[in-house]
Amino acid sequence: MKESLLDILRCPLDKHELELEDATYDESVDGDSDDGEDAAEVVDGTLVCSECGERYPIEDGIPNLLPPDMQEESPA
Amino acid sequence: MDLRDQRGIETEVYQPAEDSELLAEAACGYLDKHGRDGPEATILEVGTGSGYVANRVADETAARVIASDLNPHAVRQARSDGSEEGSGRGGAVETVRADLVSPFADDTFDAVLFNPPYLPTEPENEWDDWMEHALSGGEDGRAVIDPFLAAVGRVLAPDGVVYLLVSSLTGVDEVVERAGEEGFSAVAIADESFPFETLTVLELHY
Repeated sequence: MKESLLDILRCPLDKHELELEDATYDESVDGDSDDGEDAAEVVDGTLVCSECGERYPIEDGIPNLLPPDMQEESPA
Repeated sequence: MDLRDQRGIETEVYQPAEDSELLAEAACGYLDKHGRDGPEATILEVGTGSGYVANRVADETAARVIASDLNPHAVRQARSDGSEEGSGRGGAVETVRADLVSPFADDTFDAVLFNPPYLPTEPENEWDDWMEHALSGGEDGRAVIDPFLAAVGRVLAPDGVVYLLVSSLTGVDEVVERAGEEGFSAVAIADESFPFETLTVLELHY
């Protein structure tokens, strides 16, 4: 995910802002071009709710913002 | 040998069909017409599946396009570029694994697109895999549409619109009425008839 996506993502439970922790960036993406640092591509890390502390993983560059009770891989 | 093996394809992700094409075509046309296609515009496709519609919008407009889905296989495919093979170019669409619009900020999107699971399905016929989630709208076909209509207003920017695909199998009048209860006016902007259903794209706005 682009780091700038953080601007529009919120905790699905309480709609508070999320903070990025333990981020790993894709070195092949030049974060200094056009959009500045916002273009930086985050491939791994955790999004943490600034209010309730709930944690959401970034997996293969895709943030998983399902509520905790829906997080498991199974469709059921 | 199950169906997946016989077809030799990924069956965990709904692949683009006539409904996807109709929604993509109608939405791109109206986004252009109403000036919601510029680089300042932010557009969300909910339940993106293969990512076909989101990638079409990203290709045909200058807007920032976000695509979300419940299904992890779907968000991976949508991110690669919307095709099953993946062209490797990737990256035009930003993807999020999400339940409808729940993890997005208020007043964010100039347009929200949704081709929902809409087939009316008896509980005893639910088959419980990702494809069921992509297709089944519960007993009345509106099990996902109703909560979507209740929630989408929060994330729409002022003057934001919703492009919602509805089938005659689900009942266009019922969906329009439900949207009205949530404060939306609905206009049909495209439709197409098939042997077993008529598909309609509704534009919803406050």
